[in-house]
Amino acid sequence: MDVTSLGFYSENSYYGYKGSMLSPLIKFLCLFQSVTESFGAAISSLNAVHLTDTVIHRSKRMMLDTLGVGLLGTSTAVFSKALQYSQFFKSVERSSVWGRSGMTLPPQYAAFVNGIAVHSMDFDDTWHPATHPSGAVLPAILALAETLPTQTSGLDLLLAFNAGIEVQGQLMRFSKEAHNIPRRFHPPAVVGVMGSAAASAKLLALSPAQCVHSLAIAASSAGAPMANAATQTKPLHTGNAARRGLEAAKLALLGLEGSQAILDLESGFGVFYSDYSPSELPGTNGGCGGGFRWVLEEQDVAIKRFPAHLGMHWVVDAALEARAKLGASGEPDLCKVQKVVLRVPPSRYIDCPFPAMEHQARHSFQFNACSALLDNQVSVNSFSGPQIDRPALRELLAKVRVENPQDNHPSFDKMYCEVTVEMEHGESVTARCDTFYGHWRKPLSQEDLVGKFEANASTVLSQEAVESVVDIIGNIEKCPDCTVLRSYLQMSRPTTHLFREHLG
Amino acid sequence: MSATLRGLHQSALEVIQRPASEDSVTDSFGQFIQGVQPHHLTPTLLHRSKRMVLDSIGVGLLGSTTHVFQLALQHCQHMYAPDDVSSVYGRRGTRLSPTLAAFVNGVATHSMDFDDTWHPATHPSGAVLPALLAVSDMLPNNRKPSGRDFLLAFNVGIEVQGRLMRFSNEAQNIPKRFHPPTVVGTLGSAAACARLLSLERSQCSHALAIAASLSGAPMANAATQSKPLHIGNAARLGLEAALLSSIGLEASPRVLDDTSGVAGFSAFYEDYAPQPLTSPEEAGLRFLLEDQDMGFKRFPAHLGMHWVADAAASVHKLLLGELGSQGMGRGSQVVGQVQDILLRVPHSKYINRPFPESEHQARHSFQFNACSALLDGEVTVLSFSQEALQRPDLLALLGRVRVEHPHDNPANFDNMYGEVQVTLVGGDVLKGRCDTFYGHWRNPLTNESLKKKFCSNAGAVLPREKVEGLIEAVEGLDSLEDCSPLLAQLQ
Repeated sequence: MDVTSLGFYSENSYYGYKGSMLSPLIKFLCLFQSVTESFGAAISSLNAVHLTDTVIHRSKRMMLDTLGVGLLGTSTAVFSKALQYSQFFKSVERSSVWGRSGMTLPPQYAAFVNGIAVHSMDFDDTWHPATHPSGAVLPAILALAETLPTQTSGLDLLLAFNAGIEVQGQLMRFSKEAHNIPRRFHPPAVVGVMGSAAASAKLLALSPAQCVHSLAIAASSAGAPMANAATQTKPLHTGNAARRGLEAAKLALLGLEGSQAILDLESGFGVFYSDYSPSELPGTNGGCGGGFRWVLEEQDVAIKRFPAHLGMHWVVDAALEARAKLGASGEPDLCKVQKVVLRVPPSRYIDCPFPAMEHQARHSFQFNACSALLDNQVSVNSFSGPQIDRPALRELLAKVRVENPQDNHPSFDKMYCEVTVEMEHGESVTARCDTFYGHWRKPLSQEDLVGKFEANASTVLSQEAVESVVDIIGNIEKCPDCTVLRSYLQMSRPTTHLFREHLG
Repeated sequence: MSATLRGLHQSALEVIQRPASEDSVTDSFGQFIQGVQPHHLTPTLLHRSKRMVLDSIGVGLLGSTTHVFQLALQHCQHMYAPDDVSSVYGRRGTRLSPTLAAFVNGVATHSMDFDDTWHPATHPSGAVLPALLAVSDMLPNNRKPSGRDFLLAFNVGIEVQGRLMRFSNEAQNIPKRFHPPTVVGTLGSAAACARLLSLERSQCSHALAIAASLSGAPMANAATQSKPLHIGNAARLGLEAALLSSIGLEASPRVLDDTSGVAGFSAFYEDYAPQPLTSPEEAGLRFLLEDQDMGFKRFPAHLGMHWVADAAASVHKLLLGELGSQGMGRGSQVVGQVQDILLRVPHSKYINRPFPESEHQARHSFQFNACSALLDGEVTVLSFSQEALQRPDLLALLGRVRVEHPHDNPANFDNMYGEVQVTLVGGDVLKGRCDTFYGHWRNPLTNESLKKKFCSNAGAVLPREKVEGLIEAVEGLDSLEDCSPLLAQLQ
């Protein structure tokens, strides 16, 4: 007997009714599954015609940025440990490890380590409501594409990528809690795995029902506590999201089933939020001439200019402007600073007066403001041990005071940062940043986005490879076989070998 | 300085800056896992945990015949190559990487809802045993753990789960959000594996913390074919956490503590009040299993079914007495005589299913189990086959069931009861009531019954010599210098 055809006899409804009472109730109870079904239907039926110019443009930028930060991230200790662990597994199908010439892993583990690399330095893209969407998706679909028997075109890849991003965006709109600073679960671990499952399901061309089950199975892998988001384990949240979403899709392909109402039920995906109110995705038919309305079309991502929490970008831009004002008549003498006041939104997670470690420095308004004042820039190199410990910086940190004005909301859409620098001789300058350069309201120019990629990628790849990746992603929608990326992502610099040995 | 703005980050900063806090709950767990000694295993613990090991292997072996197990195995074999390390239950010659073997064996264990149940409710052994067996297979031949070390690691895994469940009132109630094996099971597995791998104290703590980021699956999937993967993943990911910790990965050093503003393990509960574990160096260390025994199932269904099955079985006997005959046509005679069936059971949507359509639903239906026992005098593995699900006698009886939820019948495995009241066509009323089913911790299965269950389960896939060999190996586990005899007979 086909359970699914008897709508409300689904395994997820707890009520049974005999014979004639069925009809009025079926309609009502069938609604129980409709949000989930609408996701399954949308993922399965999305195709190239639904991709708009804006979505293609934005998602290609996200892909390039993600590859760059991922390649840079392969130099981190956490990546190294994850790689060591992952090499434990044998498989027939293999997928590439970014930045490591000739190295492959089972596909899920390639997704795992590459996903970790992407998030390892807090350098990856950020969305609103807050999550880091691309790192959970791109590593999974690239790993999967390498194993498929038929060629995966660049357009297929773009479509799968966007399915994965879209699902995440939609899920985050199902609760107010998702709009606030996360307290319990780290968002990439909640929505990221669902995005990866959706993207993988898309690439595997699963049926609507199988797409539903991919999401359901993935939900049982969602969620990791915020406490670990302040530790070395944090990047694993993204790595695991990529890996387990891919796994969920593969299990669904084999026929495993989960709850068909997973997105509808409070006891389903709703467990991760205290206020959960899902709604159906609009169909992909669009009705009167409308196409599919992508979340990415309405809400772009922010791209970071340096590897730190997004909030740091406001305070840095304000600090740089303040410094420029101070230096209007020559180089400012920062030893003569009396006081620095930061007016920032309240957020305990990024308020750290004296960071002792890299992770803390990336999550400290104070540290980033002072680095900007001292160095007139904040970059990848600003967070090293020596930089954190330097006396000039510690001295300046001691002069910082933080204020939380009432009108400064801890939201990436609304916050601002003000920096006031008071000098000993009485001069005082104030600068304010409402929208940092790289925010979705003020996106990085294409030149600067590519520049960031080149700077990151060239720490690991050869010049030829760097340029080729820029070229391939730039034209990905015309690319007949996206796996050409693979060889370039592994085409490492000749000296990289020595570099890595030195790092141990 | 903005003192008011400290809190989350500041507390994380403080933790990292001072040496691992000696008084944190998390640290006490690390200390326990690393420091507990074989002499802490009392005779009661040895006895009870060996019964759990035997039962768990048996249900796992039977579970290797299920569709969901096949699916999980297929997945592992497709996505990964054969890796001649850890055995798969019941499949001669099939071995996988340790975490994958833990996964499929965990799936097998929970695939039929036949595995052990504790109080507060979870299924503890399936999350731990497959992982320990996989690790044992992984260790070199001349470094296999002794039976006692194995049992100690097993008990560590069980104890950690029990302790974690006592950190909240929510864990004592019927789970609404997260399926308990995915919350406490993963950490139990991490703890057990950390012990067997002889990790250092801080590594044991980090294993728990890493595992926390791999915990938690929604209850909605516990009503589906995916449920067994919850146990499979608990076993697998706990092992993974321990392995990652062993190569130096670190996570939150206060994951089990209740640090305000930063949710660690507390993320999974609405109310959370952790307590440190007694240090193994102090006197007075007492395992929970000593005071709270395990429930073993007699047939593969939700624990709650056992109460109504026992109650209905006693009514069946009365009914046969009334009908004055046995043998052929009994079913239809029962059907002919029964007018109405009233069940008085606790209120729980999850196990109240008047007309189950699938095997899984049948295993979670008061109505189905009561009617099966009424018809057959007992519920067995075979009561859930496709034919059994659809037999007309049963369907007829199902149509006559009413359910009541008396106020004095809480949905709690420690306090609930099951009452079956059958009104016959002639007007007579037969009643049966069960307060403590046979197999419950208050009325434990005898060793003989447990062995019989094991033989029936294991015998479905293993030859007689191995079935008996396993019984012998488990019974003598605490005396084995080397647990290889156990490992060698699982397939």
